[in-house]
Amino acid sequence: MELRKYITKRIIQIIIIFFVILTVLFLLFRLAPGDPVSMMVDPDMTQEDAEMLIVQLGLEQPLGMQYLIYLKNFFTGHFGFSFHYGDPVVDIIWDRLPNTVLLFTTSIILSALVGVFLGKIASWHKGKKVDSIMTIGALVTHTVFLPWLALILIWIFAYKFGWFPINGMISEEVWLDPEAGFISRALDVMYHMVLPLSTLFLIHFGAYLLIMRSSMLETLKEDYILTARAKGLEEKVIRDHHAAPNAALPVVTSVGLSLAFSINGGALTETVFTWPGIGRELVSSVSQNDYPLAQACFLMIAGVVLISNLVVDVLYAYLDPRIRY
Amino acid sequence: MALLEVDNLSIGYNTKKGYLKAVEKVSFDLEAGASLGFVGESGCGKTTIGMALMGLLPPNGSVKEGRILFEGKNTLEMTDEELRKIRWREMAMIFQAAMNALNPVQRVGNQIAEAILVHDPSVEKDQAMDQVENLFRLVGIPLDRLRDYPHQYSGGMKQRAVIAMALACRPKLIIADEPTTALDVIVQDQILGEIKELQKEFDLSIIFISHDISIVAHMCDHIGVMYAGQLVECGPREGVFESPAHPYTKALLSSFPTVTGKRSDLIPIPGETPNLVVPPHGCRFCDRCSGPEASCSTEPPQWVEIAPGHRALCCRC
Ligand SMILES: Nc1ncnc2c1ncn2[C@@H]1O[C@H](COP(=O)(O)OP(=O)(O)OP(=O)(O)O)[C@@H](O)[C@H]1O
Ligand code: SF4
Ligand SMILES: [Mg+2]
Repeated sequence: MELRKYITKRIIQIIIIFFVILTVLFLLFRLAPGDPVSMMVDPDMTQEDAEMLIVQLGLEQPLGMQYLIYLKNFFTGHFGFSFHYGDPVVDIIWDRLPNTVLLFTTSIILSALVGVFLGKIASWHKGKKVDSIMTIGALVTHTVFLPWLALILIWIFAYKFGWFPINGMISEEVWLDPEAGFISRALDVMYHMVLPLSTLFLIHFGAYLLIMRSSMLETLKEDYILTARAKGLEEKVIRDHHAAPNAALPVVTSVGLSLAFSINGGALTETVFTWPGIGRELVSSVSQNDYPLAQACFLMIAGVVLISNLVVDVLYAYLDPRIRY
Repeated sequence: MALLEVDNLSIGYNTKKGYLKAVEKVSFDLEAGASLGFVGESGCGKTTIGMALMGLLPPNGSVKEGRILFEGKNTLEMTDEELRKIRWREMAMIFQAAMNALNPVQRVGNQIAEAILVHDPSVEKDQAMDQVENLFRLVGIPLDRLRDYPHQYSGGMKQRAVIAMALACRPKLIIADEPTTALDVIVQDQILGEIKELQKEFDLSIIFISHDISIVAHMCDHIGVMYAGQLVECGPREGVFESPAHPYTKALLSSFPTVTGKRSDLIPIPGETPNLVVPPHGCRFCDRCSGPEASCSTEPPQWVEIAPGHRALCCRC
């Protein structure tokens, strides 16, 4: 089947890209000015521990050997220890990764769905008030400076009204309460997620709205829309069943393309709202010269983006039979 | 009563250069089971007439005057909803760009079934699919292609699928706008033959649009020759081909050794078609006419009856 071939091809591509990233990261950390030992080994360690770590990371070996050891450590999950926390980097990563995936995927899915829906409506009312309002709204939220947007949201909803929290993703009283069930904990997380999610959503949905709108306008000129109309279908059916599924394809592509560019905003948002995710960890580890953790964060983010890309590609193939068959 | 009566129909488009008079005062009748072919150079208004009949003119197009009586009812006065209900059920159209007439993300069989389902809510989904199977047999598409997507079809199969779709609701009238131009000659001949057989089988009325006069001659028993938005000659096939009256018809025919003979494309007639935003006051063919009279450039020509049912728009006839 064509689909299997397509997905296999994608997976191979992704593996290659990941290897390139892995290698670039290795070179960045080893060839950067400065002593690699001081970069990878915590200055506060005891002499003994430090020497053990140097051997484990292969820092005394020639560069080629170091690279092989680096790969081996990567595949066996040895990322060393965080200078800042003192814990194994793997543990920190596993702890933060789900939080980032939660915030990241929810915001992408939400903004894509809403963008597609509103873009469809806007195109349908092209040139009318609804269209102008949506288009301008999308342009404004899309171009606004993210930290500024986040601060506005904090100022209005956390400070002025006090509706939503901005500290982390859980309330201790809920999570320490042994009585609290899964639902109340989940609700607590959602409650904490409202503001960071809104920030990411507002930044992203506008682009999808604009793409969907112009893609709809192009699709409505297609011959098969004329056929649909000639068949005597209702306008709503033409819009939702014939135009929209075709018009949404470029949006899916653009979601895939924009994933890598949303890292920036994601890390900023996590930092502003103290969301305990990989992005925030990346920002703080870089500023604290916590190289082992920073390196692992880079890799994880690259991994998340690549895997999301794969998911988007599979979704695209599912939506467009020209790829599937 | 004729199935279709078009009376003094004028259609135009709003363009940047002004109101483009794409069709001017066209009148014709079509009896049930009859076939009428429109022939003329590119841009003479053939598609525009077809679209107006279906009520599918683009947003910048509008009917300026005239009537379209389908079974005695003026379709131009129908509401959108009334029009929607007779579309496809009563009259279907095979569009000029049939290659892209199918939705690329839906299965071909479903797209045809959709036409059946929308016009007859009492039909179940699988009954509709059975009907689509019959249609596929009729137009000669293998049944295992029912669940394929359009891009899996060859050009000829897409064309057949579009014809099957046009037949889906057993309409009384099919408007076929250059249904075979994108196909190679052999497939073209096959499909034209099939259309002809289907027409007999279902007693369809057909309006056949082409710039190829030999195809029209082969397909239709009535011919309408169009030039620059006007119908310039109209009549039974034999009359028009054996005793053409309008100089434009004569010029068209002179490029064909015999009507049923070798097919070739139109040999261009020297000169250009007039500007349709500001059309000439007199005869529109005047500049290219082989023997105009003095009055031709100032006086619009009148219809002249050549024989019963055969007329031409020329002062010299
Ligand atoms: N949507 C439109 N807007 C403006 N002008 C149009 C539009 N559609 C057609 N026209 C103009 O109207 C005239 C008639 O066009 P039409 O498509 O009916 O011609 P046709 O006889 O079907 O030609 P062809 O053989 O090329 O298909 C042409 O001059 C064309 O440029
Ligand atoms: S009316 Fe005059 S110019 Fe026009 S076709 Fe007839 S003879 Fe020629
Ligand atoms: Mg045309």
